[in-house]
Amino acid sequence: MRPRSPRGLAVALASLTALTACTADPGRRGDAPPELDRGGAAGAFKNPELRPPAPVPDDAADGGSLTVLTAESPSTFDPTQAYYTDSTSILAGLVTRALTQYVYDPDTDDMVLAPDMATDLGRPNDDNTEWTFTLRDGLRYEDGSEVTAEDVAYAIKRSFAIEELPDGPTYQRTFFVDGRQYRGPFRDGEDYAGVEVDGNDLTIKMRRPFPDMDYYASFPAFTGIPQQEDDPATYGRKPLATGPYKFEEYEPGSRLTLVRNEEWDPATDPGRIQAVDRWEFRFGQDTTRLENVIAADNGDARTTLTYDNVSAATYRSMQEDPDRLVTGTQPCTYMWFLDMTRIEDIRVRRALGYAYPYENAWRALGEIVGVTRVPGTAILPPGTAGRQELDVLGIGGRDTDPERARALLEEADAVGFEVRFLYATDDDGRVAEKDAIVKGLEAAGFEPKPVVSTVDTLRTDRTDPDAPIDVRSSAWCSDWPSGGSWFPAQWSGDLVGLEGMPNPTNFDVPEMDRRQDEILDTMTPEQAAEAWGEFDRTLQEEYYPAVVTGYGGVAMIHGSGVGGMANDNVRGMPTFARMYLAQ
Amino acid sequence: MGIQPAELAEPTRDRTPTRPALHQLRRDRVAMVCLGIVALFVLVAVLAPLITRVFGVQLDAGNPARDLDAYNYPAFGPPYDGFTWRAPLGISPNQADDNLAAWLYGARTSLGVAAAATLVSTLIGVATGLVAGWSGGWFDRFLSFVTDVFLSVPFLLVALALAPVLVSRFGADPERLQLWQLVSLVSVLSLFGWMPLARLIRAEVRHLREEEFVLAARAVGIRPGRILRRELLPNLAAPIIVSVSLTLPAFVAAEAGLAYLGLGVSGLPSWGRTIDQAVPFFSTYPLYLFAPVLGVLVLVVALNLLGDAVRDALDPRTRHGAVS
Repeated sequence: MRPRSPRGLAVALASLTALTACTADPGRRGDAPPELDRGGAAGAFKNPELRPPAPVPDDAADGGSLTVLTAESPSTFDPTQAYYTDSTSILAGLVTRALTQYVYDPDTDDMVLAPDMATDLGRPNDDNTEWTFTLRDGLRYEDGSEVTAEDVAYAIKRSFAIEELPDGPTYQRTFFVDGRQYRGPFRDGEDYAGVEVDGNDLTIKMRRPFPDMDYYASFPAFTGIPQQEDDPATYGRKPLATGPYKFEEYEPGSRLTLVRNEEWDPATDPGRIQAVDRWEFRFGQDTTRLENVIAADNGDARTTLTYDNVSAATYRSMQEDPDRLVTGTQPCTYMWFLDMTRIEDIRVRRALGYAYPYENAWRALGEIVGVTRVPGTAILPPGTAGRQELDVLGIGGRDTDPERARALLEEADAVGFEVRFLYATDDDGRVAEKDAIVKGLEAAGFEPKPVVSTVDTLRTDRTDPDAPIDVRSSAWCSDWPSGGSWFPAQWSGDLVGLEGMPNPTNFDVPEMDRRQDEILDTMTPEQAAEAWGEFDRTLQEEYYPAVVTGYGGVAMIHGSGVGGMANDNVRGMPTFARMYLAQ
Repeated sequence: MGIQPAELAEPTRDRTPTRPALHQLRRDRVAMVCLGIVALFVLVAVLAPLITRVFGVQLDAGNPARDLDAYNYPAFGPPYDGFTWRAPLGISPNQADDNLAAWLYGARTSLGVAAAATLVSTLIGVATGLVAGWSGGWFDRFLSFVTDVFLSVPFLLVALALAPVLVSRFGADPERLQLWQLVSLVSVLSLFGWMPLARLIRAEVRHLREEEFVLAARAVGIRPGRILRRELLPNLAAPIIVSVSLTLPAFVAAEAGLAYLGLGVSGLPSWGRTIDQAVPFFSTYPLYLFAPVLGVLVLVVALNLLGDAVRDALDPRTRHGAVS
């Protein structure tokens, strides 16, 4: 899954109005922030037995309205295209039901995979190449019409229409029958051999084993879309609701209002409640102002929340009121991807790992160490099945060691090695981060060469294979907590040279590719989990193709009237599906 | 004071309109205080490297891992631990850079950019005004049209549009980018600051060219260039000085504003940039915000008051005691 931009990228003009609200004086410096419980399971647990209806908490008031403020703007609300954590989370939690869903378990503070529109988590055949889901009875769209298995089959076919509906998840192309040939219903018609419908039963056929289909079925792409209602160009403006809330008004980039969907039946849904009447989302808000409004907790702000990570200043002042602060993990790994074709000597790559000024760079960027950025060195983030706690450099992914870096550089006869990397010149945090990195690399004997980009162009500049840079800074988040959603997507030799640079290090080692194929094609899920952890270790010990610069974390705040807000540790978003106004 | 017979008898070159004005300025206490303040700021700007060395602080030398607490706030000095000589104005949250060094170099950027932009805009304004006013006819109408066009172009929009163009052109080389950002900042400020002076000068010149001493000069065949320089320019000293003294503070404020919007020179310390970074901390770490705000405020007010005093002194109608 793709993270929302790691920091709020508020347009500078918006901050003209920043000097308005004010927070209470938080007094003297408190104790150190609580170290996060490292990881959580990030949705590794499954509960196929979870039965509807979802319990409504005792302190939930009936009705009212919740307001969500954020500096960012979701790029789409089309279920097929939803791949960023914000649109996925809003759609899956409130509007569009899928075959399966993640449900928050307050006892373990973890997300649990549970049935949604399907009666169970799907029934695979022996080699995981055929999955059958059975739809519940009594599922209806907001207009009262019934949700049929044909509608879900249509939605699946629709997800192959990459040209009409780009940017969505693409595992169906990798795993489903004819995944590479079928181009969706708009070009190739309805005839697709990969899905079959029989009454309420929906069968999906794979061309290679896909043991993680139950996780994948939780994406909004696996909702119901009635074909007669579909226009790919406009469906995302008002997707037909199957969940407890429906679109009332949506202005892209600025606001979204959700109201109760009276056709939603709690007796069919084991994960969602319908306590409040309305959800008001306000996008593109000024970061400082929204933090101050929610922190001050006056009037309407009492029922307001944000899913942006708060600044260190607000995080500190909220220590006075920890009940309104929600922290947790996000299964994302930040990396400095080292271009294997440009930094060929592993000693130089390892030297970069020693030289990278981890803590200075994080803090300069405004991250709260241990909260919004958690140190670590394995590529698989905490919570992934089979993950090993690695430390191939012996510095815990945190303790920069310029002397060892310099020693390695001298050994490799590469003192003064030029390292070119991108930064956004119009974002103060990014400039400060760049300054910290330059200082750190210089101290270790490298010759850092920052290359200027802007917030708007950073992504395109980074994914340009011919860009004059040696490292690429980026993050990758789990789509589900197994190595299968990590290494094949970024570390496969087939991906070298493709548009968009899906393999950011140009990592092309046939032996490692064979190892991946072996895991994908021959192993049971349990064996595979183990093997991916081992793959991570081998990758780092023998190649060190990336400097892991920590895992993502969240620190969100809400008003005192908001109930049920916890961290959805699959996406790093609020647990929308079970939120309410506290009495 | 009026015109004394003795002055009448003096040679022409000494009978400039600035002399009584200077005399009056010297007696204006507010003006003198403001002049002192401005001089102090100029001194600070010029000697910034020396002063930072005296205080033992350095620009952009932060070490966040060492100097910040768990919440990215300074582990020593303000806002929690009172004054320390280690960082007289504290260090910044997140980056742990020294605030005093940033302030001193910020003064340098502020005054340097404002002075350069004032110089350029004054040169353009005077030249355009002189030529337009003197030539008359279609060329005058053309130059007046150009002036109006520049007056109607939204300044902020141009500044906003220029920034990404420069980045895409010079992105690969941050040092050249910095140079060109500086050049573009000065150009943008001056390109949108010369029009009022040009109009003023044009009006004055149109009035002066009908005066007898100019007619006389033309009659004896002196070339126009020489008339403009020798006869007209000295008579325009007053409006030019007034314009300069009022443009300077406007540019100081504009530079801070543009830097606040992220349109300043990347990597160059600036009060506006510090203000932008400090806004989220204004309730928990007010000193971080107030130092640059006070810098801009005091400098702009001092320059403005000084400018007012200069204008009053040069304008016979408002000159104190100008009863003849």
